[in-house]
Amino acid sequence: MKSLASLALVLFLAGCEGRHNWLAAAGEEARSVETLFWVLLAGAAVIWSLVIGAATYAHRAEAKPEREQEARRFILWGGVALPVLVVGGLLVWGLLILRDITADDGALTVRVDGERWWWRVIYDTPEGLVTTANEIRLPLGERALFRLTADDVIHSFWVPALGGKMDMIPGRETTLALTPKRLGNWGGLCAEFCGGAHALMRFDAIVMEPEDFEAWLAHEAQPAQVDEGDPGFAVFDEEGCGACHTIRGTNAQGPVGPDLTHLAARDKLGAGIYEMTPETMARWITETHEMKPDIDMPAYPDLQGARLDALVTFLMSLE
Amino acid sequence: MARSRDRKTVPPGDAPRVIDQGSVWILVAAPSIWAAHFLLSYWVAAIWCAKLGRGTSLAEPRWIIAGLGGLCIAAIIGLAVLAIRRYGGVFVIFEEITESSERARDRFVGHLALLLCVLSAVAILFTVIPGMVLGEC
Repeated sequence: MKSLASLALVLFLAGCEGRHNWLAAAGEEARSVETLFWVLLAGAAVIWSLVIGAATYAHRAEAKPEREQEARRFILWGGVALPVLVVGGLLVWGLLILRDITADDGALTVRVDGERWWWRVIYDTPEGLVTTANEIRLPLGERALFRLTADDVIHSFWVPALGGKMDMIPGRETTLALTPKRLGNWGGLCAEFCGGAHALMRFDAIVMEPEDFEAWLAHEAQPAQVDEGDPGFAVFDEEGCGACHTIRGTNAQGPVGPDLTHLAARDKLGAGIYEMTPETMARWITETHEMKPDIDMPAYPDLQGARLDALVTFLMSLE
Repeated sequence: MARSRDRKTVPPGDAPRVIDQGSVWILVAAPSIWAAHFLLSYWVAAIWCAKLGRGTSLAEPRWIIAGLGGLCIAAIIGLAVLAIRRYGGVFVIFEEITESSERARDRFVGHLALLLCVLSAVAILFTVIPGMVLGEC
């Protein structure tokens, strides 16, 4: 019994650490929700104690019919008036938080489009749109406004440690602000069941120093450096990868799948689920559906040997 | 007075159903007013935001919703007055109503109607609050 209880405690506490921890207070919006949570929890504990205390007292005390009216008034105020005030106050508080985290302003605007099962990420910069995928980098301390939509089914955008979540609805735009307060690589995920690979629809939300972020964004805006006659790009071209994927600076301009212009600069492969290494890249190409079930990208099991090596080397050079 | 003289106490098994007497309208009136206010608020905000788009100020709709709310709460206060005067309803009952008589039934309906009036008024208030706080589509 004791060991079961300790196991339960360990499992419970395991939720308090890590990059998906919504109590990490890594963002202003997460902090506002966290404050509301602690107040609710403390309030619930006080109310629970009072109710149980009153019930215990009522059970043990002797009946005093002469105090009947007083008791009924107590029930009226404590059971009707007080709950209305408390719930009304919480409603207003929750609405104020909602108003703040969806307000249409931010130093930076990022459009995120939920796809099955990855994230199209577009930074709105004064020089134009910068497209990337499955990794969101944010400057520390600056409010980033996310304009969210979805391409096919309803998804939900959530970076627990920073704030959220917010539904992404096809044909509509929702907004959500995130103001990171701690550097780090925080986990993001889809919080609305959206089909087969829903649990594998993840991304990294990397909070950087503002100057590092500016440098990263400037680099991300550049086209890829692809040598003419690169044997890997030749394989990419022959296999028709460019019909779905874009590599800016080449003739590959497919709009269907993730933009690969700076693919190897990302930490993860397959929408936040695998480390970006040549080995996982090779498996991703040849055993796609073992790596991530149900996705639209076809597997290329016949691509082996030197051609596969050349393609992987080329993709891993897209930094 | 003439009405109350006509009323007789009847044994429980033969008691006419209250709904047949047409006197329970007061019970459904207050929740119906709340439902109508909710529906109208929803329509006003939905049509306003659909026509003018996201981010539009809710300046006019919020006052329409609040104004409607005020009217509805006034109507509910009127119902509460009726429940007290005509039905003899009280908010807190100190003795159980166990008597099978028209008067006891009226008192019970009046009491219930008063509780429903309070519930509906609070519900209308809670419908108005989001529009006042959020302020835009």
